[in-house]
Amino acid sequence: MRRFARLFLALAVLASAFPLLLRHVELRSDITDFLPAATTEESAFLLRELRTGAATRLLIAGIEGAPAEDLARISRTMAQRLSADGLFALVANGSALANEEEAALLFAHRYALSPDVTPDAFTEPALRGSLEGVLDGLQSSAAPLVRRFAFADPTGAFLAMLRGWAGEGRVATEHGVWMAAGPRAMLLAQTRAAGLDTQAQQAAVAALRDAYAEAAPPAGARLLLSGPGIFAAEAAATVRADVQLVSTLSFVLVGGFLFWRYRSPMMLAVVAVPLALGTLAGLAVVATVFGHVHGAALGFGMTMLGVVDDYPILLVTNRAPGESLRDTARRIWPTLRLAVAAAVAGLAPMLASGFPGLAQLGLFAASGLVAAALATRFLLPALLPTDSLAVRPLPERLAHALLRLPARRGLVLVLLGVVAAAMVATGGPRMERDLAALSPVPEPVRVLDGELRAQVGAPDVRAVLTLRADSAEAALQAAERAADALAGAFTIDHAARFLPSAATQRARIAAMPDDATLDARLASARDGLPFRATAFDPFLADVAAARALAPLTPDDLAAAPGLAARIAPLLRRDGDAWRALLLPSDVHDMAALRTAVAGVPGLLLVEIKAETEALLAANTGAALRWGAVGGAAVLLLLGAGRGLRAGGRIALALAGALLLTFAALSALGEAITIFHLTAALLLAGVGMDYALFMSRSENSDMAEAARALGSVITCMVTTLLTFGLLALCRTPVLQATGLTVTIGVACAFLLACALAPARRRPI
Amino acid sequence: MNIAGRHQKPGWGFRGDSPPPTFLRRALLLFPLTAQSADPLAAVMAALAAVRSSRATFVEEKEVPELDRPLVSRGTLAWRAPDRLEKRTIDPAPELFLIEGDRLTLERPQRGLRETLSLDTAPELRPLVEALRATLAGDIATLREHHEVRFSGDTTRWRIVLVPRSLRLRGAVQRITLEGSDGVLTVVETQGNEGRTRLTATPVP
Repeated sequence: MRRFARLFLALAVLASAFPLLLRHVELRSDITDFLPAATTEESAFLLRELRTGAATRLLIAGIEGAPAEDLARISRTMAQRLSADGLFALVANGSALANEEEAALLFAHRYALSPDVTPDAFTEPALRGSLEGVLDGLQSSAAPLVRRFAFADPTGAFLAMLRGWAGEGRVATEHGVWMAAGPRAMLLAQTRAAGLDTQAQQAAVAALRDAYAEAAPPAGARLLLSGPGIFAAEAAATVRADVQLVSTLSFVLVGGFLFWRYRSPMMLAVVAVPLALGTLAGLAVVATVFGHVHGAALGFGMTMLGVVDDYPILLVTNRAPGESLRDTARRIWPTLRLAVAAAVAGLAPMLASGFPGLAQLGLFAASGLVAAALATRFLLPALLPTDSLAVRPLPERLAHALLRLPARRGLVLVLLGVVAAAMVATGGPRMERDLAALSPVPEPVRVLDGELRAQVGAPDVRAVLTLRADSAEAALQAAERAADALAGAFTIDHAARFLPSAATQRARIAAMPDDATLDARLASARDGLPFRATAFDPFLADVAAARALAPLTPDDLAAAPGLAARIAPLLRRDGDAWRALLLPSDVHDMAALRTAVAGVPGLLLVEIKAETEALLAANTGAALRWGAVGGAAVLLLLGAGRGLRAGGRIALALAGALLLTFAALSALGEAITIFHLTAALLLAGVGMDYALFMSRSENSDMAEAARALGSVITCMVTTLLTFGLLALCRTPVLQATGLTVTIGVACAFLLACALAPARRRPI
Repeated sequence: MNIAGRHQKPGWGFRGDSPPPTFLRRALLLFPLTAQSADPLAAVMAALAAVRSSRATFVEEKEVPELDRPLVSRGTLAWRAPDRLEKRTIDPAPELFLIEGDRLTLERPQRGLRETLSLDTAPELRPLVEALRATLAGDIATLREHHEVRFSGDTTRWRIVLVPRSLRLRGAVQRITLEGSDGVLTVVETQGNEGRTRLTATPVP
């Protein structure tokens, strides 16, 4: 054991560096790091919405598992508590306006705000109808409620306004709150903090759970939650669980394998040195460049176990009898250097993929590889005693079979040709076009979200219209014009539905009859009805007062938090201008909408699904282009390092491995995502090591060839034991990477054997 | 005290399917009550509590300050112990006003209106509902919880005046006067800012 003291000391130093480093590194797990960069105005808008849009700040709660009365009580108690909580901009559960100050303000402005205020509503016959309605209401058991508004607002302008607001949700009201089938009470809460503010979102989720617990839910009742805070937490939990499982299993399996291969537990410690150094370097570099490290990038970094443990294995296994480890390191360094350089060249496209998350993965892996290679070359020989770690020879039959593979080269080439032809004939692998498939959020969580959204009546937004204007007033006017232009064919939700432009407010007031006319018409309308002459004086006084009121503008909404929260998602500052959103619901005919929008100047139509798919396609295309660049760089490096012919042979082994991998993925029914593509690049880097080391033995004897084969087999098995496990992960990025590299590594190994130069002496 | 047990007793009247009680049966019923006439309110409450279900027709006159004549409506009432009270207006416009347990339902088919609400959500409504319901149930404790209770008259011809304890509610409804004889409630008069509403019930024979 003493002989390994230096090794253990080095490991101890590295181990203590981890907590030190992690204290300064921010770990993140939000999905937007894996969203591509925008290229058009539509995609820029879409990405901004996905990152910071109102939808990202919306938490939806469903309460079920108890009688409707209990659910309603819980919903109300929760709404009261949450409204008082500074975390939320808006809490809605279907109950009426809670804020009396706001109700008074809106009541005073009703003739400017209500869509029911048209000149027609104040003609004598219309007034007669309104008065008969008031009488009918007074007759009913709801008379106290009717009387509260009827004499100041006989035409019902205020109630029509509130009804119009409620119309946005299609969920039924029961016991005074939203109640979906089940029964399930529904509650919406919009956070003040952005959807990406993970901590604030988690605090919001905690506040919701607390409010639920304090509402004393009966036994059996359940709280269902969905929203960005939940997504972040669930995604983080999934990634964490995946990473823990994979790293634990990998450790056990790889450790067991190395113990068998090198007849000593020390090999695990040897492998750990470059791995730890590589991980530390990856963390430090990514944190320095990006300011934070994505959880999935870290998870991916852990899988570098499969890549960088190749290096110490190659070093120890390639040592000839009697050779010092230092000499071995010097001898294999040109090959190792070339392998690392080529692998880094293969990873470079990840940096340019446009997905910050993938760029992190690439940077993490590249820095880790370089650090691990340097550690293998310079650090390990100094740490290890010279004569340690004898390698168990490979089973002879296996070695013979593999070393004889080059004799079957023709067959392998034919096989590759057939697979290539089949791929061309079937049109190649199917590409994934759904952004949701890339989300690290577990599917059950997304399904629940869809269900809750449907129940609160949030329409499936397939298209968003947007426009920009110099001022809030101009944006509201433009939204009104656009909504009018589209009104015939589409139902459109927009800010001016809640807060009309000042121009519209003035126009409504101006279109009302003057005081004397209104008084006269009211007197005629009253004829024959039992109302006293003075009964509607409050109405006349309010109309007169409304003429003197200044229009309500977005700046005046401090006293109307409910209205402010309603228009916030639909109208907002955008730089030094204003942006308005218009949401068409139930779009059945996208082509008709496209045509209609084209007729409205300044209005931009963003088709969410199509735009998302275009974004993905653009980025997949970019990844492929950069992949080609990476491939060219690899070829160039190989040609320079090995000469044209040998370089070509290695390149063929790699290309063949990629071909077989994608053919296998297609056969498995996998839709190819950007993660498969970038994993393939990584695979190319890993597979190259094999081809390089297998062909290093071109001018060497059998013993050295067997050592090279043994080292590469060991590398492959450890890689399979790590990446193979990744394929079992639930997180799409890890799963795709694992599957691709697992299949690819096996193919790359066999091709490296088959395409290695033939031995001078047959075995 | 519920000597009548599940037997049907006069409330607003008898159910159509039950025979009118004989004089003897009524005398038997009232005997224990008159025996403790030291507290006539308790006796009235006991008589009311003994009525498990009843039906009546009603005429309601509603005076509203802004109107120069009262609004009149007619319909039927139905009570079923312990907590179901139905007021069905027939004229001039059909309406159903139903209180059952904690739930209040208002239906006006001509207007396509149907609303359900929980009394818990409307604390200002509960005293008004209990003024009627707790009286019919003979539940003096609930009645006192929401109102100050004044009793006058005797068991055969009584008057209960309720004044809401909630100051807020008293701002809208100052007084509810209930009149009746034995276990039958015949008049409900509500005095509030809304004006005065007088409901007269006639038991269905």
